[in-house]
Amino acid sequence: MNATFVLLDLRRITRNWSAMFFTAVLPTFFYLIFGATVDAKGADIGNGNVAMYVMITMAAYGAVLAATSVSANAAVERVQGWGRQLGLTPLADSSFVAGKAVVAMSVAAIPVALTYALGVATGARGSATAWALSALLALAGSSVFAVYGLLVGTAFQSEASAGAASGSIVVFAFLGNLFVPLSGGLLAFAKFTPLYGYAALARYPLTEGWLTDGSRDPLWLPIANVVVWTLVFGALATWFVRRGRERQ
Amino acid sequence: MTTTPLPPTGSSGSPAVELRSLVKTFPARRGSGRPAVRAVDGIDLRIEPGEVVAFLGPNGAGKTTTLDVVLGLTTPTSGTAEVFGRAPRQAVVSGQVSAVLQTGGLLRDLTVRETVRMIASTYAVHTPVDEVMARAGLEPLADRRVSKCSGGEQQRLRFALALLPDPRLLVLDEPTAGMDVTARRDFWDAMHADASAGRTVVFATHYLEEADSFADRIVLVAGGRVVADGTTAQIRARASGRIVSATLPPVRAAELVAQLRTLPGVGSVEERGTRVVVAASDSDAVARFLLAAGGSDLEIAAAGLEEAFMTLTTASATARTSTTDTTDTTDTTDTTDTTDTTDTTDTTDTTDKELVG
Repeated sequence: MNATFVLLDLRRITRNWSAMFFTAVLPTFFYLIFGATVDAKGADIGNGNVAMYVMITMAAYGAVLAATSVSANAAVERVQGWGRQLGLTPLADSSFVAGKAVVAMSVAAIPVALTYALGVATGARGSATAWALSALLALAGSSVFAVYGLLVGTAFQSEASAGAASGSIVVFAFLGNLFVPLSGGLLAFAKFTPLYGYAALARYPLTEGWLTDGSRDPLWLPIANVVVWTLVFGALATWFVRRGRERQ
Repeated sequence: MTTTPLPPTGSSGSPAVELRSLVKTFPARRGSGRPAVRAVDGIDLRIEPGEVVAFLGPNGAGKTTTLDVVLGLTTPTSGTAEVFGRAPRQAVVSGQVSAVLQTGGLLRDLTVRETVRMIASTYAVHTPVDEVMARAGLEPLADRRVSKCSGGEQQRLRFALALLPDPRLLVLDEPTAGMDVTARRDFWDAMHADASAGRTVVFATHYLEEADSFADRIVLVAGGRVVADGTTAQIRARASGRIVSATLPPVRAAELVAQLRTLPGVGSVEERGTRVVVAASDSDAVARFLLAAGGSDLEIAAAGLEEAFMTLTTASATARTSTTDTTDTTDTTDTTDTTDTTDTTDTTDTTDKELVG
């Protein structure tokens, strides 16, 4: 691992204020609106309260957005010539990927840390296990969406594709039961969308699977969702990366 | 593998670059109907340490693809490439070869100094960051964002990056493309200032002036092949000696042009309005023919490097004539061999000014 390389890259990404606003500040702001200031924030949910439920959800949303945008940008930069510049150095592909993974996870940790800090200050309540485990799951699960960002960035190869990747995350968040509590047919459909499993899993230490409409997901459901989407993203990303290489 | 510097020993005595029967084809893209492209079509080339070689050729001649192979950025379809006696990628990893690429991208939101530090961090051993920045004249720009640098400044940054491993071979792919005259001069000034003894330099260009003023040797590439290889004087001598032009009688123009093409020693025939411009080795014969056919305002001029370039590259593009093909081993009467310096009897006037491409 090349610390200088990773730190310079991290500094470059985090000083991009407009991008950091969307990935770090906006999820925190959403938590304040939908979590910390609602009347029902103190109501019990599983091992904690509603404020904690919204806090985990928004932290997960921010982490996914960060991981997606870092990896999509990395893919676009690579095909736009930075890859050729790096190809003139001893840096191996594997070191590049490992370094980017560290950068993506570090950036993803920012919204998680901010939201959780704000949660502590504004009355989010839950068991110690729920706090620790949910943060860990939100962070670890966002790596799946780093693969998604790589896939979109490699597939479209333009600066707009990084924006498209982040934009699609917003859509997935609605469909995945992150922003508005879904019910009925929409909820049934939501369980097949990419962000549902990840967010449900991050909340599982708190909710133990209980949903706002009173129904309950068995643990295997969010796990199956995450596994399937990981396989889908991984297969597509591999295919696009190979196609890009052949074209050179 | 990323940090182990390979010893430079064991490679002494090897040529800086050795390409044997190099071929690179790009497959047809599915669905686009685009046919397969043979970008490099059998290049043999040997460059000795310390040489400064210009790769000269029109766009699409295969220059960039050939240099990509030398840099290990792409693998040849067939044939072999060695840099200081080892595989190109190994030479890159050991810091023996570096490059300024035409399309080498930079990260727009890094500063100049951060970019140099970032690339420097990938080498186990490198020239100090401050030193390469000074050599490329980047000190006043150190804290400027790459996005705020002009094309020429970005190119000097790429040059600084290429200096980091203190390479024995420096490859420059169209280093001054898109620069204005001042930026181009600044860039070459920086290059000359750096002229460390013994550094091998290979640069691709389509500016004849650059090839002529900076290189010891010119390798002329067209259609994925080497069409000429030699010193500037040799290349100029390769041009069909002189340029003959005349105004033709309009009624017979087409017929005369057709006849001109069949005359012995005629390299190219070009119509410019009512005038016809002929590059020919036997200018007297062409002049006699034109006058007899009713041509007027006859002019005879010595061919410059540009005409040599045109003659050689056009000839290979249309019908690969035997006189312009180094890879054709049956063609032994030609001057394509670099060691062949006997061909100095050509009447070409070497004092004429080349046109800038």
